[in-house]
Amino acid sequence: MRKKKWLQTSLAVITAATFILAGCSNNEPKGSNTETGRTNGEVSTDPVSYDYFAFGTNKDVIASNTTIGKILQEQTGVDWKMEYVVGDASTKSGVMIAGGDYPDVISPVSELSKLTDAGAFIPLNDLIEKYAPNIKRVYGDYMDKITNEDGNIYILPFTANVNGYLKEPDATSTFWMQRRVLKEFGYPEVKTLDQYFDLIEQYQAKYPSVDGKGTIGFLTFAGTAGEFFTITNQPMHLAGYPNDGNVMVDMKTQEAKLYMGTDYEKRWLAALNEMNRKSLLDPETFTANKDQYLAKLTSGRVLGYVNYSWQIGDATNNLKAAGNDDLRYVALPIVFDENTTDAYIDPPSFVNNRGLGITVSAEDPIRIIKYWDNLLSEENQKLIQWGEKDVTYSVNEEGRFVMSKEQLANRNDNEFKRKYGWAYFDYEWPRYGNNSLYEDGNAHLPTSQPEVAEVNYTDGDLALLKAYGLKTFSDFYAEPVERPWYPAWSIEKEQGSPEQIFNQKAGDLQQKYYPKMVFSSEADFESIWNDYLAEFNKLKPADFEQFITSKVKERIAGNW
Amino acid sequence: MEKHAVQMAKSTSEDSRLRTLFKTLSKQKMLMLMSLPFLIWVVIFKYLPLWGWTIAFQKFRLAKDLFDQTWIGLDNFRSLFQEQQFYLVLRNTLVMSSINLVLGFVTAIVLALLLNELRKVYFKRAVQTISYLPHFISWVVAANIVQTALAPEGIVNVLLLRLQLIDHPILWLGVGEYFWGILGVTEVWKNVGWNTIIYLAAITTIDPTQYEAAEMDGASRLQRMWHVTLPGMKPVIVILLIMNLGHILESGFEAQYLLGNGINVEFSENLDIFVLKYGMQMNNFGLATAAGMFKTVVSFIFLIAANNLAKRMGESRLY
Amino acid sequence: MEQAKSARNFSIGDKIFDVCNIIFMIFLIIVTLYPFLNMFALSFNDANDSIRGSIYVWPREWTLRNFEYVFNESNVFYATFISAARTIIGTVISVFCTAMLAYTISRPEYALKKFVAITFIFTMYFSGGLIPSYLLTKELGLLNSFWVYIIPGIIGVFNMIVIRSFIEGLPEGIMESAKIDGAGDFTTFMRIVLPLTVPALATVSLFVAVSQWNSWFDVFLYNSSRPNLSTLQYELMKVLSTSSATTSSGGSAGDAFANAQGNVTAVTPTSVRATMTIVASVPIIMVYPFLQKYFVKGMVVGGVKG
Repeated sequence: MRKKKWLQTSLAVITAATFILAGCSNNEPKGSNTETGRTNGEVSTDPVSYDYFAFGTNKDVIASNTTIGKILQEQTGVDWKMEYVVGDASTKSGVMIAGGDYPDVISPVSELSKLTDAGAFIPLNDLIEKYAPNIKRVYGDYMDKITNEDGNIYILPFTANVNGYLKEPDATSTFWMQRRVLKEFGYPEVKTLDQYFDLIEQYQAKYPSVDGKGTIGFLTFAGTAGEFFTITNQPMHLAGYPNDGNVMVDMKTQEAKLYMGTDYEKRWLAALNEMNRKSLLDPETFTANKDQYLAKLTSGRVLGYVNYSWQIGDATNNLKAAGNDDLRYVALPIVFDENTTDAYIDPPSFVNNRGLGITVSAEDPIRIIKYWDNLLSEENQKLIQWGEKDVTYSVNEEGRFVMSKEQLANRNDNEFKRKYGWAYFDYEWPRYGNNSLYEDGNAHLPTSQPEVAEVNYTDGDLALLKAYGLKTFSDFYAEPVERPWYPAWSIEKEQGSPEQIFNQKAGDLQQKYYPKMVFSSEADFESIWNDYLAEFNKLKPADFEQFITSKVKERIAGNW
Repeated sequence: MEKHAVQMAKSTSEDSRLRTLFKTLSKQKMLMLMSLPFLIWVVIFKYLPLWGWTIAFQKFRLAKDLFDQTWIGLDNFRSLFQEQQFYLVLRNTLVMSSINLVLGFVTAIVLALLLNELRKVYFKRAVQTISYLPHFISWVVAANIVQTALAPEGIVNVLLLRLQLIDHPILWLGVGEYFWGILGVTEVWKNVGWNTIIYLAAITTIDPTQYEAAEMDGASRLQRMWHVTLPGMKPVIVILLIMNLGHILESGFEAQYLLGNGINVEFSENLDIFVLKYGMQMNNFGLATAAGMFKTVVSFIFLIAANNLAKRMGESRLY
Repeated sequence: MEQAKSARNFSIGDKIFDVCNIIFMIFLIIVTLYPFLNMFALSFNDANDSIRGSIYVWPREWTLRNFEYVFNESNVFYATFISAARTIIGTVISVFCTAMLAYTISRPEYALKKFVAITFIFTMYFSGGLIPSYLLTKELGLLNSFWVYIIPGIIGVFNMIVIRSFIEGLPEGIMESAKIDGAGDFTTFMRIVLPLTVPALATVSLFVAVSQWNSWFDVFLYNSSRPNLSTLQYELMKVLSTSSATTSSGGSAGDAFANAQGNVTAVTPTSVRATMTIVASVPIIMVYPFLQKYFVKGMVVGGVKG
């Protein structure tokens, strides 16, 4: 009895303490936005502010502090408090879901399946039907792709191309070569991997050092776990396939096939192995971190390297700024065999697992959908890419949009982009896709407008293009082929599913075996490869392939 | 109250012991008042969240309530213990944390002793302050410095080549077997100054007359360090040792993650990285929680064993 | 002491020892000062130039742009104020409470001594996990409040042990005599224990202050949507994450689209990180030299006997 009372008392004390602690928490009223107390349903242009949260990377901002945000606010009365994730995205989404409080709209990026699973988003179907003619116009052709399996639309993706499809003028491949190598040998055509490595070997033999420092024949970016795909993705590209992740999809049979463990991968590794034996491969290939890698790239000592252009951002701008065009690099359409058609230019694609959605916490979804609809008007789409006429761009006599050098510099300057709002509104909002055109024929992306791209070319660029008889760098590559499932890497794999575990284990296996195979002697290569193959087959690759194939076929049938 | 007293009289000896306890406690009201609020605090903030351990027995889905979760028994533990990789990472974890433990203790104690012997106060203070600076550098930065120093053209290879100890540069991070050593040295470099602070504080409690007495007896410098300073630090050393033995499965995370690569992965991957890869990154909270519980069990075993050992040896102990 | 000193001067062994010791210390200084000099050099060096590598202890192309970039974040100064506030308030409260608790479990006669000690010590080795802790914080109404920086960390168990072992090192007689003089436990704690454990309190204060100053995870978790509660470290994390251009995830070309356009930046993650290190750590590093004066040798016992 007494014990029980003691327990009761202590529980009471705990409860009391809880309240005291809660009391002194100084909790400010939530939702300080002005919309509290407004009646639902009625759409006005009263000033309101909503919360926007993105799992992308950017600097937090109040939308109306940017030029674009201000203009849009004048049109709609809506302002946004825009917040971006800092730190681990999955932790952030985890606590959001656990707490059940969401910002009004979220761009979930990698957290999509988790948030939809938790029921964080409201279906947009009816809202679009009733209030959003522009959304219907832009996403009309993609309705099946943006509709979830349950028939609802939860997010509006960022890649809906309208009014045709415009090729990017300066596409790049993953194989880069220093321009002086090409110059030295009179700008030869370099198509196969053998030719590419051969050219490096010849140049290295002729010029073993630059400024007293040895030249580095070939460099890969495989020193950190997060970037390891740079080296493992190449067999796919060399075989003439675009980036479908870890599979290649046959155009005829539509079967998805892993290239891990195939002859393609073996050929690639054997080539690297040979380069290593000839001392043409950088020995730090598997140990250098990003800074060390970039330091080498910008030193001008490297003759060739492999990576995606977006991985290294503007590091090579150093070389451009230094003004020595010979030390700069150009990406070439390298494949395994002479008769293979390269697929470096992305086919028209639709990424349906990136987008912006309205959450269950939003008090006035109608107003938000109307804001988005207004944002998708042709006028406002010009605003978020080109800005204001005669301020940030001009129109010539033929009605083409052009930019002067300064205007282009502003368009590319991060600080300016933030102040103006491009940095915030040109992505992670409902928008025209990158390859879109306007009704008047101008490109949606300034960099895709040939008149603008030209402004960017240096004399060295022009000389190189002239030597190869090309107009733009994209002309190096074959025309993309329609692949209705593309890209296969955007196929969602469920959390903790066998597919996801396969991905992780296969990646671990590659990370473990690649260095062994590349650094082995010629004699050992074969046996290590066989070990690798044996381990790989234990992972049941066929199941994974089957999963991707079925998803690809679903996509082709229109079920995204 | 009267009724209670009657009931109490009838009760067993256990109850009477309880009564003496309450009696004692009523005398120790002040001590109770000084500790009870914190007991409540610890229950709320540390013990209440332990309901989270139920996640280890679920196929946990964030959006669902506790009672709507799918319960899967010991499946998470099974998939943890059946994984081949688990035993490799367990080995790596134990080896690295043992290295860190031994190296960390020895270097910090030695540095504290040596600092204590410095005669120039300002020099001593300068060394102290500077030696603890690397503690404030993030691991990303520290790893970068280590990687640069260990590169083929980095300072370590250059020095060794100059001294003719090697005849061609060594790819330090490209040899798996070197990883544990590199990590140990890096940890020491980063934290030795910081770890010394607590020993320096311990040294302040040593009675100066003991040094005088030792000197009178003709003890040399090293003898004084050995017979006066070190024993003076011993209680703190023992307590820290017991506490750290409980953390035997925590070998750090960032250092291994940042210095690890494809070549040394068989030596660098530890439990925390394993859990990150197969648990957190796949939102498999169940597996991560199971691993956490496993760690707790191991911690308790080490902690209790170490504490009992200290008790038997008559040393200061944790509780 | 005087005699002892003169006796020391005659030993040759002592001299050799001193010289070796000083040489070792100089080596230590070089090795441990290097990272900071390196950060200093990188933070004052042009970011794009730094990509070329080979920056060691001195900048090659001086610039203040990295600092401008970091301080451009308008919230930095206010966040510094919050950081200072949580450091000072958090340290004072935590050290006082921890010392008080440590005192109670150092009293041999206290009936709950072992129970309390074990209850706290065990918490060092488990955690319920992130989600339960978050929900608890939410239920207690600590979300979006300053107190979330203070209350969950009010007792540091490690620190409690450190202080306890110092208290136990005090001569028992002092506390007994206080008791005889009629002082209660609280009075004894305030008047006798606190002043005598100053080196321990200084040590623990340093630990608490450094972790308060450096922490950003609680801001991230609980207060990220409240700019008025943001701290310096969190603001710097934001600057850093903005400066890291790409976010490629896992296996293949993740969010290539986000970075399709050629951006021109004046900073790089490396230089921002270096600048952050300088900006964030210099203030807290200053704390130690200030506390050093409390590490006076022999202070505790000497003070009592004298």
